[in-house]
Amino acid sequence: MIHLFSYLHLPRRHLAHTGHDSSFQSRSSATHLSLPIILLSLLLILFCSTGLLACGGTASSSNTLLFGAPISLTGSTATEGHLTLEGYQLWVKEVNAHGGIKVGNTTYQVALKYYDDGSSPTRSAQLTQQLITADKVNFLLGPYGTSATLQDEAIAERYKIPMVEANGAAKAIFSRGFHYIFGVLSPASEYAKVMLEAALSLPTPPQTVAIISANDSFSEEVATAARDFASSHGMEVVYYQTYPSGATDLTGVLTALKTSAHGGVPDMLLGSGHESEAVTTMKECKQLNINAKLYAFTVGPATPDFITSLGPDANYVLGSSQWTPQERYQGIDFFGTPANYERIYKQTFGHEPSYQSAESTAAGLAFQYAIQNAGSIDPQKVRDALARLNITTFYGVIRFDATGANTFKPMATIQIQNGQVVTVYPKEIANAQLLYPTPPLSQR
Amino acid sequence: MLVLAVRSLPVRRLPFHREVSAMLIAQVIVNWLLLGSLYAAVALGFSLVWGIMNIVNLAHGAFILVGAYTAYWAFTQLHIDPFLGLPLTMLLLFCLGWVVQYVAINRVIRAPFLVTFLLTFGLDLLIADVVQLLFTSDRRSINTAYSGFGLTLGTLHIPFDRLLAALIAVLLTAALSLFLQRTRTGNAILATGMDRDAARLMGIRIDRIYALTFGLGAALAGAAGAMLVELYPFDPSQGGVFTLRAFVIVVLGGLGTPWGALAGGLVFGLAETVVPLLPGIGPGYDDAIAFALMVLVLIFRPRGILGKAFYA
Repeated sequence: MIHLFSYLHLPRRHLAHTGHDSSFQSRSSATHLSLPIILLSLLLILFCSTGLLACGGTASSSNTLLFGAPISLTGSTATEGHLTLEGYQLWVKEVNAHGGIKVGNTTYQVALKYYDDGSSPTRSAQLTQQLITADKVNFLLGPYGTSATLQDEAIAERYKIPMVEANGAAKAIFSRGFHYIFGVLSPASEYAKVMLEAALSLPTPPQTVAIISANDSFSEEVATAARDFASSHGMEVVYYQTYPSGATDLTGVLTALKTSAHGGVPDMLLGSGHESEAVTTMKECKQLNINAKLYAFTVGPATPDFITSLGPDANYVLGSSQWTPQERYQGIDFFGTPANYERIYKQTFGHEPSYQSAESTAAGLAFQYAIQNAGSIDPQKVRDALARLNITTFYGVIRFDATGANTFKPMATIQIQNGQVVTVYPKEIANAQLLYPTPPLSQR
Repeated sequence: MLVLAVRSLPVRRLPFHREVSAMLIAQVIVNWLLLGSLYAAVALGFSLVWGIMNIVNLAHGAFILVGAYTAYWAFTQLHIDPFLGLPLTMLLLFCLGWVVQYVAINRVIRAPFLVTFLLTFGLDLLIADVVQLLFTSDRRSINTAYSGFGLTLGTLHIPFDRLLAALIAVLLTAALSLFLQRTRTGNAILATGMDRDAARLMGIRIDRIYALTFGLGAALAGAAGAMLVELYPFDPSQGGVFTLRAFVIVVLGGLGTPWGALAGGLVFGLAETVVPLLPGIGPGYDDAIAFALMVLVLIFRPRGILGKAFYA
C-alpha cells in the first residue's frame, strides 16, 4: 500500500481523508490504529478488575461461615462505605480471634466476601444476587444506605437468606412485609428528634427552625418527622424545602432560607441529607453570610471527613449519632463497652470509630448470637433466632420489632467542639455541655 | 399542573414583605450571575475541543478533577492559594492534555465518532481511578482565610471567592476569544476547525494544532476545577457530573464561539438558581428544567443560542 503515497512528502498519518486514499485509511484504522485502543482497553480492564480483586474474601471451607455484603467503596457514599466495611472487618477479625462461632459441637470460623457497588443501588442488588447464587454466602450483611438496602432486601427475601443491615434507617425498609430483613440501627424518625430535643433542653431554646432536606426517601422521612416534632414542641418551622439528592450547589435554597424567619435568619438550621450536602451547606452559609444560632445535620458531622473538610467551620455543628464511644453500655459481647470498642478499633485501623462502623460491627454481633441461639446454620432457623434476639452489646440493645427494625435503642446528639466530636445529649451520657449560640461563621 | 399544585402545599413560600423580597430578588440575580459564569468556565474547554476537533470529550470531567486535586494538593502541601496557583494548575493540565492528545487521541482522530467517544470514556475512568488511588475517595475541600468575606449591602451579600471565580471565568472566555481571533496560532486553530484538509494544504501541522487545542481544553478544565474545589467539597466521583453539565451548557449555548459557553452557563445557572425559587416549583426540578431547556433549544434553535456553523 505504501507505494500509493510515494509521491506525497507528508507522513502517513497526516494524509487527508480524501477519495484516493480512503481504501488505505479504512484498512489502516484496523491495523495501525488499533494498538493503542487495545492497550488502553487492557489497562482499563486491569483497573476495573483490581477494583474487584481488592475485595476480600477467603474461600469457604466446610467450617467457615461466609458472610456477603455489597458496599459502596467508590462513588458518592464511599466514605461511609469504607467505615461500614471496617466495622464488618473488625467483627470478623475479633470473632475469629475469640474462637469463632460455636454451633452445637462444631466451631465455625467467619469470612467476609464483599464487592464495591459504586454507590449504585441497582449494582448493589446485582451483587447481592451474585453473592447468593455464585459465591454461595451463608448470610448477608447490609450495604451502605437506605436506597441500596431497599433493593438488596428484596433479593434476600426472594432467596430466603437473612440479612442484618446496619446502614439503612428508613421506615420504608421495614414496611414491605419482608421477613428476612433486620436492622440494628434506630429508625429514621429518631435522627432529627434527638437533636431537636437537645436544642429544646437549652435555657433559651431556638424559636424558629428551617428544615432543608435531600429528596431521597430516608432524608424526607427524617425531615417530615423533624417538622412534626418541632411544631408540636413549640418551635416554629419557618422554612421547609427539599432539594435534589446529591446537589452540588444549594445557594438557591439557602438564599430563600436567609430571610424566611420574618425577614431574618432562622435560629436553627436543620439539614437532613448526606455528608456532602452538609459540607456544602456549611461552606455556602459562610459564603452567603448566613449565621444561624445553631446548625444541625442528621448525617455528616459524625464522619471524620466533615471536620477535615470544614476545618474550624465545623465547630459548634450538631449531629445525630447512632452510637458514640461515650455511651455507657455493659455488653455481653467481646467488646463489652463502647470505650473498649473504641480502643480496639483505633488499634486496628488507626483512627476513631464512627457510628457507621459501630453499627456495622453490631450487625455482625446480631448474627453471631442468633446463630449460637439457633444452634444451627440453617437460614430459616437463624432468621427465627434473629426475630427472638434480645441482647445488650457495646452498641446498645439489639432487639427487633415485628417488622425487623430496632426500635429499642435510643440515639445521641453530638457536637463538634475544637475539632473534636463530643456527646452533648442525652445528659446522662453527655461528656460536654452543648455550646450555644454559634458565633458568626466569619469570626472563626 | 396538578403535581405542582400538590407539591407546593406543604412548602412554605418566601415572605413577601416588599423590602425583603426586593433584596431577595437582587440576591438571587447575583447568585445567578456568579454561578452562571462559573459554569461557563466548566464548559469552555469542552466547547473548544468539540468545536475544533469534533470530539465530545468525555474525559473533560476527569480533567476538572485533576485540576481540583492539583489545587487542593498545592494548597495543603505548598500553601499556594487556588486562585494564585491557577496558572500553575493550567500549565500542568495543558501538558497533560497535550500528551493525551499526541499519544492517544491523534491516532483515532479520523476514526468514526464512536471510537473517540469510547477512548475519551476510557480515559475518564482511567484518570478518575488514578486520582482516587492517589487521594482516596475521601471528600476534600479547601478553606481559605478569606472564605466568608464579601460585600454586604443590607441583606444582599456578594461572596468574595465566588465573585473572583466568576470574574476569572469571564476573563478566560474573553482571553480565549481574543487568542482565537487575534493571534496567528489562534487563527490556525480556527482554520483547522473549519476545514482540516485546506488547513493542512496551507502548511498547518494538524497534529500539533490538535494537541494544542486539546491542551488548551484541558487547561481550561483545570482552571474550572481549581475554582470549584475552593467553593464546593470535592470527591473523585464528581467528574461525570461536570462532564454532563458541560455537555448541556455547550448544547444550550452553541458551538462556534467561546461566548456560547458563557451564554449556556448563564442559562444553566438560571435553571439552578432562579427558576426553583418561583412559586410552585421546588429545587427538585432544576435538572429537569435544565434538560427541558436543552430540548427546547434543540427543537427551535439547533445551533444553540450563540452557535455558528464553524468555530469562528
